[in-house]
Amino acid sequence: MTALGALVLVLLACLLLAASLGAGRVPVLDLLRGRALDSAGAAILWQVRLPRVLLAAVLGGGLAVAGVVFQALLRNPLADPYVLGVSGGASLGGVAALLVGLGRAPGLMGEIGVAGFAFLGALGALVVIERVATVDGHLAVYTLLLSGAIFNAFSGAVIFFVQSIASLEQLHAMVFYLMGQVPSLGFAHVGAVAAVVMVVCAVLWRMARDFNVASLGEESAAQLGVDTERLKRKAFVLGSLLTAIAVSVAGLIGFVGLVVPHALRLILGPDHRVLVPVAFLGGASFLVLADLMARTVAAPSELPVGVITALIGGPFFLYLLRARGGAVNRG
Amino acid sequence: MMAKSTRLVLASLLLVGAACARQESTSAPAPGLRIVVMAPSAAEMLGALGLSEQVVGIGDFVSEPRQLAKLPRIGAFDAPNLESVLALHATHFVTARQVAGSASLAKLRALGIQVIELDTSTFDGTLLAMKSLGAELGAGDRAAALVHTIENQVAEVRRRSLGALRKRVLFAVGREPLYVAGPGSHIDALIRAAGGENIAADATSPYPQVSLEAMLARRPEVILDSADNRPGLPLGRELGAWAQWPFLPAVAERRVYALDPACISVPGPRLGEMAQLMAKLVHPEIFGEATAEELGPPREASPVTR
Repeated sequence: MTALGALVLVLLACLLLAASLGAGRVPVLDLLRGRALDSAGAAILWQVRLPRVLLAAVLGGGLAVAGVVFQALLRNPLADPYVLGVSGGASLGGVAALLVGLGRAPGLMGEIGVAGFAFLGALGALVVIERVATVDGHLAVYTLLLSGAIFNAFSGAVIFFVQSIASLEQLHAMVFYLMGQVPSLGFAHVGAVAAVVMVVCAVLWRMARDFNVASLGEESAAQLGVDTERLKRKAFVLGSLLTAIAVSVAGLIGFVGLVVPHALRLILGPDHRVLVPVAFLGGASFLVLADLMARTVAAPSELPVGVITALIGGPFFLYLLRARGGAVNRG
Repeated sequence: MMAKSTRLVLASLLLVGAACARQESTSAPAPGLRIVVMAPSAAEMLGALGLSEQVVGIGDFVSEPRQLAKLPRIGAFDAPNLESVLALHATHFVTARQVAGSASLAKLRALGIQVIELDTSTFDGTLLAMKSLGAELGAGDRAAALVHTIENQVAEVRRRSLGALRKRVLFAVGREPLYVAGPGSHIDALIRAAGGENIAADATSPYPQVSLEAMLARRPEVILDSADNRPGLPLGRELGAWAQWPFLPAVAERRVYALDPACISVPGPRLGEMAQLMAKLVHPEIFGEATAEELGPPREASPVTR
């Protein structure tokens, strides 16, 4: 639990840092001294920067928890939130929405149309893959993994097709949608996303003990009284839900769901009762910091946050792997 | 040498085949120029140089001059359909300089087609490109006259705006995420000529994605928004989504203009008119207000007269 406390502090520090820094200079320290910001500073801080920082935290946390869950479900260290096909469905839905012009539709449809379509695409993928991978009433893990990979490859091909018939401007929008970036949404949208992600993560935390038992193998788990069928199905659906939300809102941000769970498992061990909450905090901190860099490194230009997560996450993970003796599979 | 001559033989065989295939459909092709043009900017230049009649095929994104619209389309500018180019008996292939697709260009050259690559990425580059295009196609005098006219128009705009205060200008080409005209783009050059200061001039590329908060913090006095090109939207002084930032001088003074990207996004023979339009948007107190019509797609441009 000390690790949990420490990571709460880390996340708070990251949130504060990310809220005080940005491409538009806002004298945030003035706030602490009790002085009010001018109208520009207030708008930048409260309407542009803060919703984005909070959304990055929520999505980063959700992606890392999805990574923990999929690694446990598949008992495969290469598993990340995007391995089971849901991301392919979401990307396809989002790109299709851009093709039919939803990104520029008036009103609410223009605001959430693309994310909504992506989410529908993800749910569609989830249902298809779940059906395919259910053999004689059992969720077959290897079939699940394979059908997920195939579905991703398939949606990749369809996305290429859609891009080949898109106009230049649509193509531009699609490339940047897929590249992954944390948008600056309104507080209502951020709140809705946060509520769903936190509830799903809490449910997964409550299942942590069962994940521990299941890591001994399906047969032993069944002997110890865990309904492994139910556990697998819940893990798949809830992990996919987290992934679907993240990809719908922010596109494909890589490495958060792969590196954060592994890094924390290397440091803190494989107990899921610790790993699930700690991964949420770690993933949140990581994406908040990465998005801070995306916003500021080349200011006033912005970089895709997926580039930053990969550039930091990759080398850091390799370092950790060597430093800890390469014990990835301990979990 | 051997390889080249072999390729030429193959090419001529292909050409003969193509010629046989289309002999019935058309009468003998007119001698001389048969131009395929891929880039919108190059197509406008050919129109202004009086060479529209010689164009036999166009790229997917070409929309001006409108008389070209009925010609066969032969692909996106980085992916021309080589067989179509040959079937059209093209003598010249005009496109914008690009990073991809150079294999196709090498192939076209090997097949004996004159490939002209134009660098229209900057304002000055576009004027040079116009001159070299004219020179290559035997319209050097017209091209020189055209460039001279543009330079005069821009110089006139620059002279008249010289005494005015520089206005901070934001030119949005895309929203969510926010894309703007940055350093090196012809729009940046137009803003400066019109007596403005591009607030994204320190960004990293001609059309960078920029931080919304940085642009808000720089408090633009004029916002030009070409991000939304849905047909039927009102053009002109429209706050649109910018209304949510009332502290911006541009919003407070209602100096936010919605414009159709077609009126200003293609660098070419209209650069002089674009400078005049930009001047009306940046300094209406000197140049007069722009009309909604001027902010729409271009009217049919007339070729320069000799």
